Amino acid sequence: MTPYLVPRTEPLLRSALDQDALLHQLVDALGSPLNVVLPGQLAENLAGFRAVLDAHRLPGEVYFAHKANRSSALVRELAAAGAGLDVASLGELQHALGAGFGPARIMATGPKSPPFLALAARAGVIVNADTLAELSELALLVAAHGLPRVRVMVRLSSFDSPGVNVMSRRSRFGTPVSQVGAALDLLEKHADTLELIGMAYHLDTMGLPEKAAALEGCLKAMDECHQRGLRPRALDIGGGFGVNYLADGAQWESYTTALTEAVLGKRPPMTWHGHGYGLRNEGGKVRGTLSVYPSYRPVAGAAYLDRLLSTVSPSLRRPLATLLLDNMYDLHVEPGRALLDQCGAVLGTVLEVRDDGDETLVRLDLNARDVSIEEHGVLMDPILISRPGVAGGEPAGVYLLGNLCLESDLITRRKVFLPARPRPGDLLAFVNTAGYLMDFRADHALMQPVAHTVALTREHGAWRWCLDERYWPAADRGEAA
Amino acid sequence: MRYDHVTDMIGDTPLLRLDPAVHGLVNIDLYAKLELFNPFGSVKDRAAWSMAAPYLRQATERGDTVVELSSGNTAKALAVIAGMHGLPFKSVTNRMKVPEIKDLLLLLGAEIDELPGQAECLDPTNTEDPLTRMHQLLAGSDSGYLHTDQYFNRRNIGAHVHGTGPEIVADLDGRAPDYFIACVGTAGSSAGVATVLRHHDPDVTVVGLVAEKSDFIPGIRNIDEVHEVGLFDPGHYDSIETISADEAIDGLLTLVRRCGILAGPTGGGAYQGAVRFLSAVDAQLTERRTAVFIVCDRVESYMSYVRERRPALFHQPARRHSTRTITAEELARAKAIDVPDAQRWIAQEGCVVVDLRGPFAYQALHIDRSINIVDELFAELVHGGLPFGRRQPVLLVCPVGEKSARYAALLTRMGHPDVRSLAGGIIAWRDAGATLVRD
Ligand SMILES: Cc1ncc(COP(=O)(O)O)c(C=O)c1O
Ligand SMILES: Cc1ncc(COP(=O)(O)O)c(C=O)c1O
Repeated sequence: MTPYLVPRTEPLLRSALDQDALLHQLVDALGSPLNVVLPGQLAENLAGFRAVLDAHRLPGEVYFAHKANRSSALVRELAAAGAGLDVASLGELQHALGAGFGPARIMATGPKSPPFLALAARAGVIVNADTLAELSELALLVAAHGLPRVRVMVRLSSFDSPGVNVMSRRSRFGTPVSQVGAALDLLEKHADTLELIGMAYHLDTMGLPEKAAALEGCLKAMDECHQRGLRPRALDIGGGFGVNYLADGAQWESYTTALTEAVLGKRPPMTWHGHGYGLRNEGGKVRGTLSVYPSYRPVAGAAYLDRLLSTVSPSLRRPLATLLLDNMYDLHVEPGRALLDQCGAVLGTVLEVRDDGDETLVRLDLNARDVSIEEHGVLMDPILISRPGVAGGEPAGVYLLGNLCLESDLITRRKVFLPARPRPGDLLAFVNTAGYLMDFRADHALMQPVAHTVALTREHGAWRWCLDERYWPAADRGEAA
Repeated sequence: MRYDHVTDMIGDTPLLRLDPAVHGLVNIDLYAKLELFNPFGSVKDRAAWSMAAPYLRQATERGDTVVELSSGNTAKALAVIAGMHGLPFKSVTNRMKVPEIKDLLLLLGAEIDELPGQAECLDPTNTEDPLTRMHQLLAGSDSGYLHTDQYFNRRNIGAHVHGTGPEIVADLDGRAPDYFIACVGTAGSSAGVATVLRHHDPDVTVVGLVAEKSDFIPGIRNIDEVHEVGLFDPGHYDSIETISADEAIDGLLTLVRRCGILAGPTGGGAYQGAVRFLSAVDAQLTERRTAVFIVCDRVESYMSYVRERRPALFHQPARRHSTRTITAEELARAKAIDVPDAQRWIAQEGCVVVDLRGPFAYQALHIDRSINIVDELFAELVHGGLPFGRRQPVLLVCPVGEKSARYAALLTRMGHPDVRSLAGGIIAWRDAGATLVRD
């Protein structure tokens, strides 16, 4: 059986990929690589998260974690759709304000530079404070400039858990939950400049027990607030809801089994130089762990949020959603990757196809920074978009080489199996890459160009395109045929 | 039978022939090796005792902590053994997937460390997995740990070479069975028994069972994980086959309901895997054969595991007074009042205000002079009949007014003349600026 890893594509993305003539024209005109974003998908993704909040009767806001993609089209579309935005840098905050987000719908997260903090305070956005020092700095700043009170949340970390010791990787971010008392002292002292609206966490983990422990920790911190007469009413549980990248779980299972066998030498290598993705062979035993994103994830995105909210709190003995509702709290979420599910693709031109010994090498006009699936360990096949009118060849297993003159520049170290051998001039589409896998790290190494980004929209069955920076949700609609 | 030490009761478990009417094999006698009869409840008692016993004296002198990577039966047995010798026991696990087992371990005095989940954003510089790091930590000598190391410790296999294997042969009148089928966790039991059986009869067929990857079966490995097991040697098995969680539960039900063996999922899996494998062989046979499979542990610890996958097995009898039976008309007829009316009613009628939220939330903020009966408890009370006198007006309060409306409808149906629900719940109360207190 050919070890395919076919990406999951929903109707809108699939329809966009079917526009092979249009896609070839765009790459001919704008060059390879080319990023394609689909703002039209966002409404559905947003609705998915809102539906989970609604089903649990929880009021709250969905703040898109901007860091997952820099596209203006996506951010402007979300502004028009009434979503919130989580910004983590001065640039992202400026971008948010320029896209039309009102201050109540912007949440500034992460450690902040002085200008970032100052603009956040002046614009009146919600400041999700990373440390106590940041709270003090913000209070001074507000007082010094006579600004209105700023709404703040306190990001907590280092939660403990009852019963079993749920270990978490140490985080660089947030205030240890043991310092909640000190945080509240500060907030009481600065009550005239800072308004506490709630507690927050974001954990970079897929582990539900860790997140349940964190949510519980926030609930207890909120209770401390109430004991002091403070009345915060929101919890922000960050992002990390995940995406399911693959169409077929069985493919993922047999692929990972085959990879294990290849590491043990029981079948021919499936990777460049026998790379094991974290697995290695020690005396016939597999050691290490498979360090890749679980590309097939049956419970991801809004469904993961639902699962978390339905989890029974280990110490308070009610489902987390019920506890939130009982306490009349709002629940904010900051999905990045999950909100961009199905929202885009990176296109690259095939420059050369050559046989080298037993292997077939395909050189592409893009590099591993233009599409960072390998860095993120997301294993999924690209989709071949042949030049219109050209018949496809036989199925082929190929290695994908990048356009940097570096030994290490492989788009993926996996041998990728394609239903037809590509030819120069064909396109490979790396789909569902809008969340972190697009131009997160793109640069001008070797003076190679950074991809242009275009927004594709479908109106009355016809596909239209425009440059990302020229996309405005309402304006574009006017000329629909 | 008299014993001086509970550990002397480990082993010498029964071998039970199953009724052919149940399994349907014509030419094969199928035996279950009932490891669930071990004193701490599983096949792992043997391995735990074999690995720990020689080192207990030294560990006690040094005050070591016994530590093992386990989320199940090995941890259970070691927790008991360590506890009996006054030693702390720590279980390090990837994920405690079965809540009953977690609770049992805590009850036995174990400390449980759950390793962190995978990062959502891959950190490519972090190539070392937590398990390996834990191994290195424990491997350092004089670390204060007695690490039993079940996946690599030869004494794990030894327990079965000296116990389980010879017992089977003795019970079959000195002959090895023709077929031996077992689930593979650490491979200790299957490898140990296989070694003994092969020694008696090189022609014995050994089948190792591992879990399909799509769902886990607590206690055993899946087809990829098995390659990480130090004791696993494919040479011990004639074939390695997979079983699904679904098949394991099917087998469990057969053993539990038809054979009187209260087996856990891996016992069920071994039964199902055995019957599947042997059925194919059975048709070709002309003479009698014997087969043995292992029932590793008991069913009681896996209620939630089975419930999650087969909720229908746990159908509850319908409750007499339950909000589930409320019709749309009843709901529409139930009285709901808005915040200003509720405030007036409370002041004038002195109605009882019942807050159905959890105690944690109630403690934080509630309506003055309300009483807290959390919804689960209230459901129990109502099940038994009206919990208030009919002449006592009642205002029910929940977060958004949905649950309270259903209970108002139910109490009305049960004959209470004046029960009302706070429309919009306590959230509406708060949003209207009405007073909330904590006292
Ligand atoms: C504070 C915060 N919120 C939200 C996110 C988004 O996470 P994800 O894209 O996994 O949903 C991140 C990611 O790093 C984050 O740091
Ligand atoms: C329930 C259960 N079944 C089967 C096994 C497998 O036994 P072994 O580890 O000897 O392969 C285990 C081992 O942990 C277990 O806990």
